[in-house]
Amino acid sequence: MSADPAAERATGVDLADAYFEQLRDRFEDASASSGSLDVEMAGLPLRLHYAGEALRANLLAPFEHLAAGFAGDPVLAISAFDTASSGIEPPEPLWDPVEAAPGTNPVVRLRSAQACVLAAAGSRALTAARPEAGEAIFHLPDATAVPAGERAAPIREALQLLMAARGRVMTHAGAVGREGHGVLLVGRGGSGKSTLALSCALAGMEVAGDDYVLLEPDSLTAHAMQSTAKLTEDSAGRLRVPAAAIDPAGFEPTLEGPAKALVDLRTFTPGALRRRLRIVAVVAPTTSSPTSSFLSDSGSKDEVGRRNPRLGRISAAEGLRAVAPSTIVQSGFGGGGSLATLAGLVRRVPSYALDLSPDPAANAAVVDSLVAGLG
Amino acid sequence: MPEYLRIGPEIVHETVDGEVIAIDLDNGSYYSLAGSGPLIWSLLAEGISEAGLRDALEARFGAVETIAGDVSTLLEQLRENGLIVATDREGAIATLPAKAADGETYEAPRFERYTDMKDYFLLDPIHEVDSAGGWPRPAA
Repeated sequence: MSADPAAERATGVDLADAYFEQLRDRFEDASASSGSLDVEMAGLPLRLHYAGEALRANLLAPFEHLAAGFAGDPVLAISAFDTASSGIEPPEPLWDPVEAAPGTNPVVRLRSAQACVLAAAGSRALTAARPEAGEAIFHLPDATAVPAGERAAPIREALQLLMAARGRVMTHAGAVGREGHGVLLVGRGGSGKSTLALSCALAGMEVAGDDYVLLEPDSLTAHAMQSTAKLTEDSAGRLRVPAAAIDPAGFEPTLEGPAKALVDLRTFTPGALRRRLRIVAVVAPTTSSPTSSFLSDSGSKDEVGRRNPRLGRISAAEGLRAVAPSTIVQSGFGGGGSLATLAGLVRRVPSYALDLSPDPAANAAVVDSLVAGLG
Repeated sequence: MPEYLRIGPEIVHETVDGEVIAIDLDNGSYYSLAGSGPLIWSLLAEGISEAGLRDALEARFGAVETIAGDVSTLLEQLRENGLIVATDREGAIATLPAKAADGETYEAPRFERYTDMKDYFLLDPIHEVDSAGGWPRPAA
């Protein structure tokens, strides 16, 4: 059956909300052996319910660094179940099936004033949320075979929907710093955000995220989400990441380009993780050699002939162009609000381009001194 | 009756440092407008004719010979890229906020298109089931 908005209006049935309730009922059926992980994320108490230990180990473990006790009910709750562990199937879809070509992940979205349902055809992840109520339900076919994209950014859609309703914009950016102050590392996939974030962690700096953070606009705070980072094989080699710190699934193809592996910062650089950093600048790393799109000359070289990193001020509009499109295209909704938030950020803090050197420590040193100068 | 034009419904945009950044939520392309582009864009927010745009710019900058051609070229670019759509009425904003400041001179609009996000969009497209509206936008 296809969702029919006209029929919905005629009958007064909110199809998205009805589906949310059905999926929540299925979670209740599946939750005989459930547990919960209480975390504080973006300053909000969040309870992650899971039906079966496989979900905690394979999906939710990257949130364990945010664990926190809280009294009373959480503000936000996300409940996850999978069919392989529980034997419980999700409700029949209310939409026509969408074909996912290899390497793609088209998403069907059904939404109403109350609820939003997102069904990913490639990963087969299913999310139903009541954003204003702070509740979401998540389903996967098999928690022992979590798709690569979902492992890299677990329950991303649920978090994005619930956090957006509370003024936190999920931003496609990393955040690194010192003593609670930091810079937002921005740019599309492959621009060098993750490599730079981990270079900074290795240099003793603080990290709130390598690829996604929750931005709270009034306080200019970047809040941590998952503790994992995605690295290419080349970057893992240059950063000398030990094999033990690389996820056993190894290097898997990504939607945006080269294969990447997950590295959990809890084991790689355990002292570096921070819940939040106050943002004092936006930095767009570039790896184009010998010149970047922002910086016009090739710069100096170190004693062994490697290019030195070069930091240059760019306009607020260039900063916005570096952070906003990938954030908004990946969010797929709430675009206007997210763009306004990000525009507010680049109006309040300076933006820079950093033409990266092949030397990770030199790149981190530039970021470190920028934070020290602005923090 | 003149044709009125306005910014399309799927375009989100912000003006920062005298530059407009506009993103098309339908296909992931994004655009930059500079020079007199942001002034023209501000007039397109609610609906204005091509002649109305020319008049508004001439009221601000005087009779600059290139204004008519520049407006026409920019509107063509905006239309081709789906950033503006036809509308049947003129909006309330038909004049620019103030006369040009001392020393401010007319600059031709500059328009740039960026398509590097299109790959993401094609790999991870969203199929809207209920396009009638709803959260996070108010229902129609």
